[in-house]
Amino acid sequence: MAAAQLTDEELFSELKRLGFTPGPVTENTRPVYLKKLKKLRDEQQQRSRGAKGRSSGGGGSSVSINNNNSSGGGGGGNGHPAAGAAAVRARSAGARQLLNAKRPDRAGKFVLGFSSDESDAEPPRHKAGLNHSDSRRDRGSGLGLQSLRPPQESGAGVSASGPSKSPVGLLEARRSVLGSSPWWADRCKASLGETERSSRALNGNRSPYSLNSSKLAGDYSDTDEEEEEELEERERQRERRLLSRRSLSKASPSLSGVMGENGGDMGSSSISPKNHVDGGEGAAAGSSSTFSLGLRPRFSSSSYNSLSTTYRPNHSNHTGSNHSYGQAGTKRKQPAPEDELLEQFRREEVSGTGGFSAHYLSMFLLTAACLFFVLLGLMYLRMRGSGSTEGVVIKNHPFGAEFDSSYVTIKHVIEIVILNNILTSLSGEHDCKDLNQPLNRSISFSEAAEFLKLQNTDYEDWVQISLEWIIKTGEIVGIRLIAADPTQAVEEVSDISRLESTHPHMSFICRFRRAFFTVIYRVLLILAGIGVVWTLLYYMKYRWRREEEETRQMYDMVERIIDVLRSHNEACQENKDLQPYLPIPHVRDSLVQPHDRKKMKKVWDRAVSFLSANESRIRTETQRIGGADFLVWRWLQPSMSCDKLCSMPSKVWQGKAFPLDRRNSPPNSLTPCLKIRNMFDPVMEVGENWHLAIHEAILEKCSDNDGIVHIAVDKNSREGCVYVKCLSAEHAGKAFKALHGSWFDGKLVTVKYLRLDRYHQRFPQALGCNTPLKASSSSMNTMARLHQRSSTSSTLGFS
Amino acid sequence: MSSTSQKHKEFVAEPMGEKSVMALAGIGEVLGKRLEEKGFDKAYVVLGQFLVLKKDEELFRDWLKDTCGANAKQQGDCYSCLREWCDSFL
Repeated sequence: MAAAQLTDEELFSELKRLGFTPGPVTENTRPVYLKKLKKLRDEQQQRSRGAKGRSSGGGGSSVSINNNNSSGGGGGGNGHPAAGAAAVRARSAGARQLLNAKRPDRAGKFVLGFSSDESDAEPPRHKAGLNHSDSRRDRGSGLGLQSLRPPQESGAGVSASGPSKSPVGLLEARRSVLGSSPWWADRCKASLGETERSSRALNGNRSPYSLNSSKLAGDYSDTDEEEEEELEERERQRERRLLSRRSLSKASPSLSGVMGENGGDMGSSSISPKNHVDGGEGAAAGSSSTFSLGLRPRFSSSSYNSLSTTYRPNHSNHTGSNHSYGQAGTKRKQPAPEDELLEQFRREEVSGTGGFSAHYLSMFLLTAACLFFVLLGLMYLRMRGSGSTEGVVIKNHPFGAEFDSSYVTIKHVIEIVILNNILTSLSGEHDCKDLNQPLNRSISFSEAAEFLKLQNTDYEDWVQISLEWIIKTGEIVGIRLIAADPTQAVEEVSDISRLESTHPHMSFICRFRRAFFTVIYRVLLILAGIGVVWTLLYYMKYRWRREEEETRQMYDMVERIIDVLRSHNEACQENKDLQPYLPIPHVRDSLVQPHDRKKMKKVWDRAVSFLSANESRIRTETQRIGGADFLVWRWLQPSMSCDKLCSMPSKVWQGKAFPLDRRNSPPNSLTPCLKIRNMFDPVMEVGENWHLAIHEAILEKCSDNDGIVHIAVDKNSREGCVYVKCLSAEHAGKAFKALHGSWFDGKLVTVKYLRLDRYHQRFPQALGCNTPLKASSSSMNTMARLHQRSSTSSTLGFS
Repeated sequence: MSSTSQKHKEFVAEPMGEKSVMALAGIGEVLGKRLEEKGFDKAYVVLGQFLVLKKDEELFRDWLKDTCGANAKQQGDCYSCLREWCDSFL
């Protein structure tokens, strides 16, 4: 039952397995089928529980069968009658006896495949080929498993028969799996007839769930049954082995361990064939692990419950323990199937789109936060970089040992520091004060020298040296030396004309402000850029849409013009007085409403030019109409054929939709008046005399019926109603049969009886009508055309 | 005479053609509106659904309930209406 998400096919096969043939699983029917599946599973549970009561009846026979089975070999025949009886009982219990349905099938198979030899013949049916050999081995090894078997069996409601009972627990789907029968046969033969039975019963109980696990198994074989079969086999074997082990060890703790694991592990399907190989040996501990794979505690526990009632005398000692363990498992399993289905429902309900947008929103926020922090960091770094570098330490003394290193160094440092201070503060002021004041960023050399001299007269000498040093050293000490010619690099001290600090020292506020403004400006720039781009795109889209719209309108106009011209041409054919051309302005004025004219001018012009360029059936020429020269259009295409303009070719009878029988027509004609619906569409009709064609049609259709005295076409009815009065009810009945359900002009005609007095109320003129009407032309236009028209209509391009 | 309504009789007497979904027995304005919102705007669309569910009563009733919230009586009316129609015309 661990079907996480049932696909349509899975749902379909699941339903089939449960004995219900579903229709197609589409998006509309899916929820319905899911509910159905849930219900079926619930019922299955109930039935398994309820079946236990019924199985008690079979307990007596089971004893005898077991005895036979225990004797070993050829016990199949014994098993059958009991199985058959049980099957009959089970079958009568209800159609959806999932558990029991299998019984009869199994019973039949038993006859065939009871001998162990036959089981060899059927290995191909088994997916897990190992099962066979293992089953035999297990058979041999299992001994004392009986304690569990009977309870399980009865739980499945199979208690009646011996070996044959095992199949009882299985689903109908297993019916066809012949492969299992030999396996069963093998089991039967074993002296542990009971063990097998009970294990099978247990398996059978579990079968509905094993279906799911079989799905999980991965190889979804071509037949679901085989898959289930295989899984069931595996489970059975596991169970059997486990039981055998348990019996061997006679340890109830193992059982409890098993139960515990069962509860948790129902859906696992990773059964490896080697499980069987273990056979009946092994400690209980080992068995519990394998057992956990397939045992369905719900059923087993339920079977355990029932066991207490149908317990067989020789296994009393184990039953009690089994029973207690069984309880625990049941509850655990019960909510599982419903939960899965509910989950599935919930999953379906959760729309993907909601989560989608939420995801994107969170991502966006995250990236925005990251960017913000990155920006902040950059700002900080920049500010740091622009901070003064008072702490510059001159590491390298390029002048070498010419000076007393430390003393001179210190001096130099001081000097440079002072200079730096001056310069940086100067630069800082300069930069910070928005260039309003004509501060100079740099100070001239002489000024610097003077300033230094003021500080300390000793500095005078060192000015030169230090400047030389600055030039020579490649370090950046924060002072930039500008020569007289700014572009020229400074080579000698004499070149120096000005000194400038490269690291302006600004106050914190200043720095912050500058950084802040820079950032703001940058951001604004980016936004402006994006805005511009976006506006551009929007505008382009708008223009494009506008153009499309106009083109569409133009084509629409062109079509309308063509229609007008064509119809005019046709009218001209009929009426030779009309001129075969139409003035262009007249056409425009008839097609375009006055209040639209200005708007549509452009469209109209485009249409006109399009027509003159691309339409071959229309010719533009100049004619004199009413004394003025007009540009006119002349329709050039000769009309296709004269048939089009003759009688209404479209109004013909086209056959019958359904045979009239008792159910869709009244058994006897009730009144002499009929109301016929859907014979025409009042919107589509043009002209004055189309109702005559309707009259004709009806008369011709009922030509064998001489009883129609009055026909009235309700021109205004939306449903296309025609009222007919006949001489008598019998005539009306004949007309009804002729008309009801026929196709006329592509519409399905229906007829109803109308009360005579109402009819007269509506059409008083019909009161006096007594003479039957006849079709005006004997040529049966509307009927005979049925055959002609089909050939001609395809060739003619009716507009 | 029988327990079928006038609407039922009318519907079953003739092919449904392009009848709106509200012509079905049991489906009135409210339910009809709900069905139309789900895309079942004509009676033949509901017929389609009915056939897809293999004319099974329970499934169709469940589906009807899920789709437009019909109560038991309405479900029953609609189902029998469609079934009879199918018997006559299908």
